[in-house]
Amino acid sequence: MSPNELPQHEELVDEKLVISFFLAALGYLFVSMLGGFLMALQLIRHFPFPGVELLSPGRWRMIHTNVVAYGFLANAFLGALHWAVPRLTLRTVLSKRLSWFIFAAWQVVVLSTAIGIMLGQAQALEWGETPVWIDPLALAGLLLVAVNFMAPISRLTGPMYVTLWYFMAAFVWTFLTYAMGNFMPQYFVTGTAAGAVGGLFIHDLVGLFVTPLGWGLMYYFVPIMLKKPIWSHGLSLVGFWGLAFFYPLNGIHHFLYTPIPMFLQYAAIVATIAVELVVTTVLINFFATLKGSMSALVTNMPIRWFYSGMVFYFLTCLQCSFQTTLTFQALIHFTDWVVGHAHMVMFGVFSFWLLGVMTYLFPRLLKTEWASQKMLSWHYWLSLVGITLMSADLIVAGPFQGYSWAQLLPWEVSIELSIPFWAVRLVAGLLMFSGLLVFLTNIGLTWAKSRKLSHVAANV
Amino acid sequence: MMSNSSAGESPIQRPLRRKSRWSTVILAVVILVPSCLAFGKKLAELISLAQGDADGVFAITPVVNYLLASLGFFFLFCWAILNGMFSDIEDPKRSFLETERMLDDERI
Amino acid sequence: MILEKKSGVLFIAGLVFFGLAFVSNAVVPALMYKKLPEKTAEQLVTVNGNLRYQFEDLARRWPEAFRAAFGEIPPEEGNEREKWLNRACADALRKGRDVYVAEGCWHCHSQFIRPVSNEDKRFGPVSKSDEYQNELQRPVLFGTRRVGPDLIREGGRHSNDWHAVHFFKPVTLSTGSVMPEYPWLFDGSPDKPNKKGLALMTYVQWLGSWLESYPYYQDYQENLVLKLKAEVRR
Repeated sequence: MSPNELPQHEELVDEKLVISFFLAALGYLFVSMLGGFLMALQLIRHFPFPGVELLSPGRWRMIHTNVVAYGFLANAFLGALHWAVPRLTLRTVLSKRLSWFIFAAWQVVVLSTAIGIMLGQAQALEWGETPVWIDPLALAGLLLVAVNFMAPISRLTGPMYVTLWYFMAAFVWTFLTYAMGNFMPQYFVTGTAAGAVGGLFIHDLVGLFVTPLGWGLMYYFVPIMLKKPIWSHGLSLVGFWGLAFFYPLNGIHHFLYTPIPMFLQYAAIVATIAVELVVTTVLINFFATLKGSMSALVTNMPIRWFYSGMVFYFLTCLQCSFQTTLTFQALIHFTDWVVGHAHMVMFGVFSFWLLGVMTYLFPRLLKTEWASQKMLSWHYWLSLVGITLMSADLIVAGPFQGYSWAQLLPWEVSIELSIPFWAVRLVAGLLMFSGLLVFLTNIGLTWAKSRKLSHVAANV
Repeated sequence: MMSNSSAGESPIQRPLRRKSRWSTVILAVVILVPSCLAFGKKLAELISLAQGDADGVFAITPVVNYLLASLGFFFLFCWAILNGMFSDIEDPKRSFLETERMLDDERI
Repeated sequence: MILEKKSGVLFIAGLVFFGLAFVSNAVVPALMYKKLPEKTAEQLVTVNGNLRYQFEDLARRWPEAFRAAFGEIPPEEGNEREKWLNRACADALRKGRDVYVAEGCWHCHSQFIRPVSNEDKRFGPVSKSDEYQNELQRPVLFGTRRVGPDLIREGGRHSNDWHAVHFFKPVTLSTGSVMPEYPWLFDGSPDKPNKKGLALMTYVQWLGSWLESYPYYQDYQENLVLKLKAEVRR
């Protein structure tokens, strides 16, 4: 395509839509962290609203996990996709009105999920507690998303950049995963087999929805920030196909030592360890790209978010390939070790990446530099210290709990020894929460600044 | 790539290449021999397990499952190479940055 | 060229790999347990004297609350009465499970005993597949975290009274418990459970009530303490 037929950025990207998705995402992150905060207070026996049905920590625990997945991550991803896909394909999405409809409909889905859970209509599927009646709506929404983005991608000719490979696969996988997890154990299979499907669902939601979209965005934004191509496109494809092959096979590792047949458990363990090898190739690729531009880690805020997330990603996957073995499982399953692991993945990796993307895009969307670089720095350091402290704390707590159970000490002992860990976790959570508040303030200030600037420009 | 480098090779580089070839062979032997031994042992165990009772055959299922899938994957890969699709695999990473640059230049 | 075409990505990565995982991780177990029939709540009740005993115990302890929740028990002994009780008990089980899910109980209490980590000594016999082949395990409530103890062998360990007080305010019975309070399962005080409360008690009493080793009391604590004391003396 020659430069003169190149479409304008303004035609391609609906910037208001991107901003709306991002703001909705951050709003939900706020709500979700509030839910986590309530549960953390309950665990140190300082819950401020005991006996209030609608604020029950058990229900807010589910709101916490669901709103993070469907409110924060999904919205932030959709915002970033509405920026990246049109620019990569040089074509608009199928319909911008459809995009706005999806935006509105998705907020309805997330809000009714939260309210449904609050009213006690949760479904018995971990991380998919979305009330049963919302499931078909959410699924229809996912289908529309896929259609909307597949339109520009399908008209492309010639070899595709790796980001689009990840995105395309993610559209199919997210839809299939959601349908499988929410309908199979509810209507078709029971008992142990349903447990296998449930494990597959929890796992695929991370591996086939969040992970491919996250890596797709990394392959897109990192070269742009560093102003040089990714080290090896071929290696990135190895990563993609490796993920596609091994990741879906991991599901049952969430239910080891259950009545699920042992040979299936072994297979899941082997596949999990294989994922770590694939992950290593991806990380080699990104760190080889960084080579020679190390100073960007200091000077470039989004790059700092991205690469911190990647380090966490490597750590979680390494941790995963150990903890999935039966030896580790006997001790750490059911303990806070797993909770620490989950927080490290969801916040330390994917939230870091998305917050990095937002750090890059907000100034471009508002056409104004960040109001305060210092606040950006605070946001980063509060989040980093918070998540490091939280996951380290919970991962250390895990073996303590596991050993106290295995030694047949009275149950109260495991609670008593956990309380100090849970108190530290609360502090860590508050650090992350205050980081988010700083970021929101910074966005508000930047928005005010952009209004002032455009006002001045209009007057001139 | 390969043919280019060997054509432009100077005589001084030759011993160096020979040396590196030897180290490759030694490393390969050091790594491959124990791996093959261990793998063969495990394979023998698996075969004796499979010839055992019904549960043993059950244990084979996932292995066969994985082998078949990997085999399919491998054939696809070979086919893709034969069709030349990896001939210009590195191009998209540059062309995408080029369009990004052009999109941003327009705005100024 | 298929690997580089969009349809190739969609087809192979999207569908084939997903399908492969689905077959090996979901369809295989489903087929393996096909021979185990899925029991309805009614079927679970009719063969389970332990559960029926606990259910009738609810009616003896809180006759008014029971009547308000499930209606009048037919007065004469006989088939009619049996049938009525079985049906009411099955209803209570279903309702109780809904409460258990809605309150997120299963996020802090798992429902399976592993063959490792002394779990069979603490909780009871290791879990088997057929125990989960019933309507109440749809979707299955294995759980992934234990803040509180596992509950799959909980039935019969504590009386209904104990459960009522415990749901109302856990710390009164388990010192140091971090379990939230559930006063909305009662009409004001622990001696007035409402339908949700009665149903949840029925459900919890059901867990493990089908086993021969019912109820499974954990007796290790005392023994362990004695052993430790003996060691210290030595």
